[in-house]
Amino acid sequence: MLATPSAEHSELDPAGLADIPDLVRCEALDREALGELITEMTHSVYRHEHVYGPYITIHEHIDCPPEDVFAYMANPYSLLEWTYSVRELRSTATPGLLVGVDSGKTPIYCRTVCHEPAKTVDYHCAWDQGDELWMVYLNRVVPAETVLNKPGSVVIWTNCRHPYYAKNPFPELCRDPKREWVGDWWPLFYAGHTLELANLKRILEHRRRHGLPLGPQLRGRQP
Amino acid sequence: MKTVSLLGVASYLPERIVTNDFFAAGAAARKGMFTAPKTRRHVGPDESAADMITHAATRLVREQKLEPARDIDILFTNVAVPDQAFTGCGAEVAHRLGARPRWILDLHNGGCVSFVYMLELARVLMSASDARGALLCNVQNAAGRVFSNSEVRLEAQAPVPGDGCGVGYVAACDASPVLSVLHECHGEFARDMDAAAADGRRYWEPGPSPISIRFTQERVASIIQRGNQLVPDLVLQACTEARVRAGDIDLLVTNQPNSIFVRNWHEALELSPEQHHDTFDTYGNLFGAAIPINIDDALRLGKLRPGMLLALGGFAHAGDYAGAALIRWRPR
Repeated sequence: MLATPSAEHSELDPAGLADIPDLVRCEALDREALGELITEMTHSVYRHEHVYGPYITIHEHIDCPPEDVFAYMANPYSLLEWTYSVRELRSTATPGLLVGVDSGKTPIYCRTVCHEPAKTVDYHCAWDQGDELWMVYLNRVVPAETVLNKPGSVVIWTNCRHPYYAKNPFPELCRDPKREWVGDWWPLFYAGHTLELANLKRILEHRRRHGLPLGPQLRGRQP
Repeated sequence: MKTVSLLGVASYLPERIVTNDFFAAGAAARKGMFTAPKTRRHVGPDESAADMITHAATRLVREQKLEPARDIDILFTNVAVPDQAFTGCGAEVAHRLGARPRWILDLHNGGCVSFVYMLELARVLMSASDARGALLCNVQNAAGRVFSNSEVRLEAQAPVPGDGCGVGYVAACDASPVLSVLHECHGEFARDMDAAAADGRRYWEPGPSPISIRFTQERVASIIQRGNQLVPDLVLQACTEARVRAGDIDLLVTNQPNSIFVRNWHEALELSPEQHHDTFDTYGNLFGAAIPINIDDALRLGKLRPGMLLALGGFAHAGDYAGAALIRWRPR
């Protein structure tokens, strides 16, 4: 069935934008001028720092239904499977706040914030303490049917470079003076995140292909 | 394949310097693909492609101490707007230089990267015969012949082209060796650029509208992407074939369609702007003549010195040809 447009359309009040400079809108910049601008802006390659400096966004298609990908990611214990080094997660006295170890013996605190209708799963994390969760990994699971016209899910993962990445705000909480600070690894986070997202894809696609429970597969009861 | 060497280049620029006030108002303020150079040259109405080649080649013959009758076995030309619609000017050039080449090839393809294409063909012909010397001639004369017309000069792209002639001498020896030379042909892009008139007539049909050169407007974005990718890709392939790294390149010389492509190509190869010698701001888009003219200009400025690794690259028209070469520059 064709959607029939209504006879009326929303009228814009030009006064609402009048005081805002440098907006690129067709009323101010014609096609030709736009062409010049976007051509200048378009390079054939971009430096790593340009693309992955202040923000890192990565994405992957996973051949697994979006509801299942969401459910798997929304379970924080799945992080034990698909992350490179988050292990030994257990609950704390604070409801919803888990603590585990990262990269060997660094305490990592994590709270998972989900929104089911939008299929967002945000991991709010921090090393050493659980009061200020500033390492925030924003994830959104999008039905691939909608955006790629094929089955499965597209997972979009964004990490923003919080200023604490530049300097540990709580150095007194670190007992190992030789420990490297998590933020020193930011220039390699594109690669690190990409490898972990690939883990997620492999785990879910493998279990789905073989008709296995999607997991996470934990021994004993969840703490 | 025999080893062949690029032993020298020479260039000729028409006298007439054209500034931006010759074109539509605001031409100098344009950006992107139609960023205007500060100046460019236009050929005069009576200046033939054969005249331009004779100017440049006479200098090359003198500097290389060539005897044309003995040393030019192969003569290539590529001319943007041929003197005659039905034949090339190679035979006339040979006669005027006193050369007696066994093969004259007036190339009607290869466009802006035809210098590299001719270099490759010279190597093929020399490998298959006892030919020892080849003269490669590129003429860009579309600026004066097409874009100086009183109507066409008002078009957005009119300020970009500039005229000039570049020639090179290639010999079957290993003095200044071509380490690798290759090209690709993408026939699927062949129809994305054409010469056309506003009244829709074909160029051989009479009519009131002047002929201009234009790109298929709706494909501009994909043409930009092709240009961005093709040239760095081909230069990297040439590096692989020559067993050198892109970082070993001392000087990159390409065609110069506009300042955006020039920027994007050296960025993609991680070369500094200084390592990519162009003359766009002075001479504009020199089509196929850009490569030999820019080599000559780099030599004049001392930017190209003996022992350097010289990379050539470029693409033609809307991407139907692309090519690259690497040369260990040891001129004689």
